[in-house]
Amino acid sequence: MADDPALHDWKPLVKDLTARRSQALGMGGPELIERQRSLGKLPVRERIELLLDPGSFVEYGQLADSMDPVLAEQRGYLAADGMVAGVGEIDGRRVAVCAYDFTVMAGSMGGVGEHKTERMRELALHQRIPIVWLLDSAGARIQASSGSTFAAAGHLFREQVTMSGVVPQVAAMLGHCAAGTAYIPGLADFIPMVKGTSSMALGGRHLVKAATGEDVSEEEMGGSAVHTKISGVADLEVASDEECLATVRNYLSFFPSNNREAPPRRHCDDPADRRCEELYDIVPTAPRRAYDMYRVIHAIADNGEFFPMKPEWARNVITGLARFDGRPAGIVASQPKVLGGTLDVNSADKAARFVWLCDAFGLPLVFLQDVPGFTVGSVVEKQGIIRHGAKMLFAVSEATVPKVTVVLRKAYGAGYFVMNGTAYEADYIVAWPTAEIAVMGPDGMVRITMRRQLEAIPEGEERNQAAIAMAEQFRKNIDPYIAAGHAQVDDIIDPADTRAAICRGLAVAATKAVDRPWRKHGVLPV
Amino acid sequence: MTEVRAEITANVWQVQVEAGQTVAEGDTLAILESMKMEIPVESPVAGTVTSVNVAPNDQVQEGDVIAVIE
Repeated sequence: MADDPALHDWKPLVKDLTARRSQALGMGGPELIERQRSLGKLPVRERIELLLDPGSFVEYGQLADSMDPVLAEQRGYLAADGMVAGVGEIDGRRVAVCAYDFTVMAGSMGGVGEHKTERMRELALHQRIPIVWLLDSAGARIQASSGSTFAAAGHLFREQVTMSGVVPQVAAMLGHCAAGTAYIPGLADFIPMVKGTSSMALGGRHLVKAATGEDVSEEEMGGSAVHTKISGVADLEVASDEECLATVRNYLSFFPSNNREAPPRRHCDDPADRRCEELYDIVPTAPRRAYDMYRVIHAIADNGEFFPMKPEWARNVITGLARFDGRPAGIVASQPKVLGGTLDVNSADKAARFVWLCDAFGLPLVFLQDVPGFTVGSVVEKQGIIRHGAKMLFAVSEATVPKVTVVLRKAYGAGYFVMNGTAYEADYIVAWPTAEIAVMGPDGMVRITMRRQLEAIPEGEERNQAAIAMAEQFRKNIDPYIAAGHAQVDDIIDPADTRAAICRGLAVAATKAVDRPWRKHGVLPV
Repeated sequence: MTEVRAEITANVWQVQVEAGQTVAEGDTLAILESMKMEIPVESPVAGTVTSVNVAPNDQVQEGDVIAVIE
């Protein structure tokens, strides 16, 4: 017996659902989408398509709205409540995505939208998959939350902290973001910024004007130039939305999905034992002469590829990702071209943070040392160089991932320690014949240990000559073959074999396991 | 007008330009000596050197103006 066909008429129901879907997919409407494009920004759904493998996006809460009667009265329907959320794949691996839609009330954080981001954070943590924020948001939706119900707010940041070091967190800056949407990147691992269209600031320009009277544009206050060159908050400046999303994919290719997985090793056609004779031309044997360490890195990494992190800030140290024989690794390298490669407050900060990042996700570390030491003097002491230097010591000491060190030339004082000297559990430490490993340079030794003898000599040419002769004596003891003779470094290598030595060291250390005494956590110098 | 400043406390070892000279972006203006290293001071812009404010053996502090490029 067939039912009455009228009891099975699904068409209007399916049609209604389809209409609701297409309304959601229409975002803030054609006019605001056009405005978004005219600002040089892509609509949120196009961004998600560029970020993820084609057809892989499973959206959560597509049919969301603000559900706020007052807002509904004033603004009508708010597509997806301005937050497009879901799970998709990058290179076949799942990631959770939270993407603010600027065409819906300037991407402001509404109650329903934030409920969706909470669901994504929970899901990312339960599934142990990375989370990617695409940020283009004015911050809190203060039209809906101007009162003291604020007292219950804030769990988003606490949850982000819980996720830190468990799953990779990326915050791509694709618009002007203030307050809430500036702390999201503040707590993320990796922050690329689009030049000209993105910014982040704790207070947006109108709030700043009200609070302090300062008249400043979003760009001047928190644009990519500020955060990639001066503040060091962001990691990379990119030219467009497209480049930004490709950069996020590339970044994640170095990382495991979570801290319990190994980083993904790739097949590598570049021979592990490839000789790098161009290093003879790149690095001068004269110890005082500068050179560009980026050229060394490009010479030794797989296929010459290097993914820099914070390249424009604290340029005296280089941090970034590369592969050796297909194994992802973090590189920390002195940059003799900038300030002679001397470490200071910001470079120690940058390196410590990068070491913590790599250690959290099991990425081995490769240190390329050519470091005259930490900057000394009253200027840096007032900046707190002791606590910043201690921070780098802390991070490098704590790191239990495979650690390979190459001493190219200078390795002086605490600079040698923080760049992973032998005592810092280097799994393989090698030096070039030009290596100078010592507590300080010969001139410093003379000034300190021979001060009385020197002062006994009349000031002038005679004293200068005596100082030079004394320095020569000290210089004789700064010789890598002394360290190698005591087996304090594992080998002295031909510079052209640097790539081979690094690949060898990482292979030897691949199963490294270090257990520390239990503690809740150390007391971090910051 | 661009003021090129010392990024580190240092001794001036060499001055490689003089006032009136044209420079390209990246040209070395002077070489400082600090922390056992030669630290080249490069011009961030192309232009004409309007003044050189240091001489060899001078001591400079971080932030001191080395040269001015117009």
